[in-house]
Amino acid sequence: MAITFRKVNFIYSEGTPFSYHALKDIDLNITLGKVTAIIGATGSGKSTMVQHLNALLVPTEGEVEVGDHTIKAKAKNKNLKDLRKHVGLVFQFPEYQLFEETILKDVAFGPKNFGCTEEEANQRAKDALKVVGIPDDYYDRSPLDLSGGQKRRVAIAGILAMRPEVLVLDEPTAGLDPAGTKSMMQLFLDYNRKAGNTVILVTHNMDQVLKYCDEVVAVKDGRIAAHTDVKSFFRDPSIMEGTNMNPPFIIRFEELLKEKGFALKDTYGDPDSLAKAISKEMKR
Amino acid sequence: MNTAVVLGRYIPLDSPVHRMDPRAKIAAMFAFLISLFIDVGFIGYAILGVIVFAGVLAAKLKPSYIWRAFKPMMIMMVFLMILNFYAIRTGYVMFSIFGWNIYSDAVFQTLYIVLRLLLMINATTLVTATTKPMDMTIAIEDLLSPLKAVGFPAHDVAMMISIALRFIPTLLEESQRIMKAQASRGVDLEEGKFMEKIMAILSLIVPLFVSSYQKADDLANAMEARGYDPDAKRVRYRRLKMRLSDWMLVIGMNLVLAGIIVLKVVL
Repeated sequence: MAITFRKVNFIYSEGTPFSYHALKDIDLNITLGKVTAIIGATGSGKSTMVQHLNALLVPTEGEVEVGDHTIKAKAKNKNLKDLRKHVGLVFQFPEYQLFEETILKDVAFGPKNFGCTEEEANQRAKDALKVVGIPDDYYDRSPLDLSGGQKRRVAIAGILAMRPEVLVLDEPTAGLDPAGTKSMMQLFLDYNRKAGNTVILVTHNMDQVLKYCDEVVAVKDGRIAAHTDVKSFFRDPSIMEGTNMNPPFIIRFEELLKEKGFALKDTYGDPDSLAKAISKEMKR
Repeated sequence: MNTAVVLGRYIPLDSPVHRMDPRAKIAAMFAFLISLFIDVGFIGYAILGVIVFAGVLAAKLKPSYIWRAFKPMMIMMVFLMILNFYAIRTGYVMFSIFGWNIYSDAVFQTLYIVLRLLLMINATTLVTATTKPMDMTIAIEDLLSPLKAVGFPAHDVAMMISIALRFIPTLLEESQRIMKAQASRGVDLEEGKFMEKIMAILSLIVPLFVSSYQKADDLANAMEARGYDPDAKRVRYRRLKMRLSDWMLVIGMNLVLAGIIVLKVVL
């Protein structure tokens, strides 16, 4: 399985006065088995791009290859259901997709659609709910009576229960409190580290990129501005310019130290190694 | 986005018709529609046809746009034609298809109804295409305000209409979002067994209802927080003003109506 974009262009409402060129000549190869962050300003085309991964949007030009599936422009694309089984997409504010009578049924809805038996789907649903931390006495409650944060967990469990090899998340932590954000991000990291799945994360939060991601794809005005590993991404501050985003707190701190004449050799990015470097510098 | 929905869509252009007072346009439209239903034969339709054609030209609307507004009515017209050909058996036999006699009255009657429908759609499209939805609601409120004397809630009705109009694009966007989210969970609206299809539709409707109620609640709170009181006396930011051309349109259209009534009596 591989994920490749080849010369992908996407135009919304082509041929009307409302037409909008959202993606321009995207060439991209997403490494499997890693956590990749997709960053960019609002309206840069991030969400449009990830919706190509499970063929919710089909390129206006070019093609997207995901595993055995190739989604081509202007072609009748078949077997989309099979593709969507392998690529699970969690939208921004996914709580609005809840609709079943009980939480368990809602989470089992996805697996059942993809051909699991009733029992298997329920088992998967229970596993997924355990992972997101919804206790079993909740299973028979209505998903619509939950709090906002719990709804989000149930909605994400609904995608996790499908056990996709590629998990795509569009700003999954928007509107969550810090503790909720942290446990949610840990969950996605585990999905990658423990099970070896690919995780693609659309985010605005650079601290999350630094802490949880392996690679970064920066999108600017519908084009790929950069695609590197996280460390080298933050080493080169010029990439961030014009993306309307601030570097992570700790990187800014390092830069300020350097400005004040502190001789730091490298970009550290985590508090421990930065502290060691500072103390070493202090002793000299 | 959706070229199918032409009926009732506002087309932002700059034309004398666009600039007219919406109240004048609505009043003239009513006079026009009443004239349309007074049966004075093809002469009446010819007069009204010229008027509406002049209106479309003055509004700078493309004929293709008007044509698209007619399209959804085609099936209905064909249905009417078949029904008439079958039911009306008076007049002389004009021609016959597969041994079925088509009578002259059936042909004329169908032509009548079709013309009437076309003119009706044309006139209403002309008004909705040249009037902003917000102006339309203000005009409706103004035109209904005399009914306040008998306790009719003109302002509330106008507010309800404007809120409904405002939320059409929002709900369209929302339903598209939900559709995509459910498609990611394996919902397939095109294929599948009957029960699966019911489930698929349910998976769209329930979230749409939930979010609509939520939006309604939020909106009600936001309005209340800003001190909205339906019974309060209020002034408007946008004021409508009837100019000479507006009065001329209303009076002119009513003269046409009077003329047609006279024609009817004389004939």
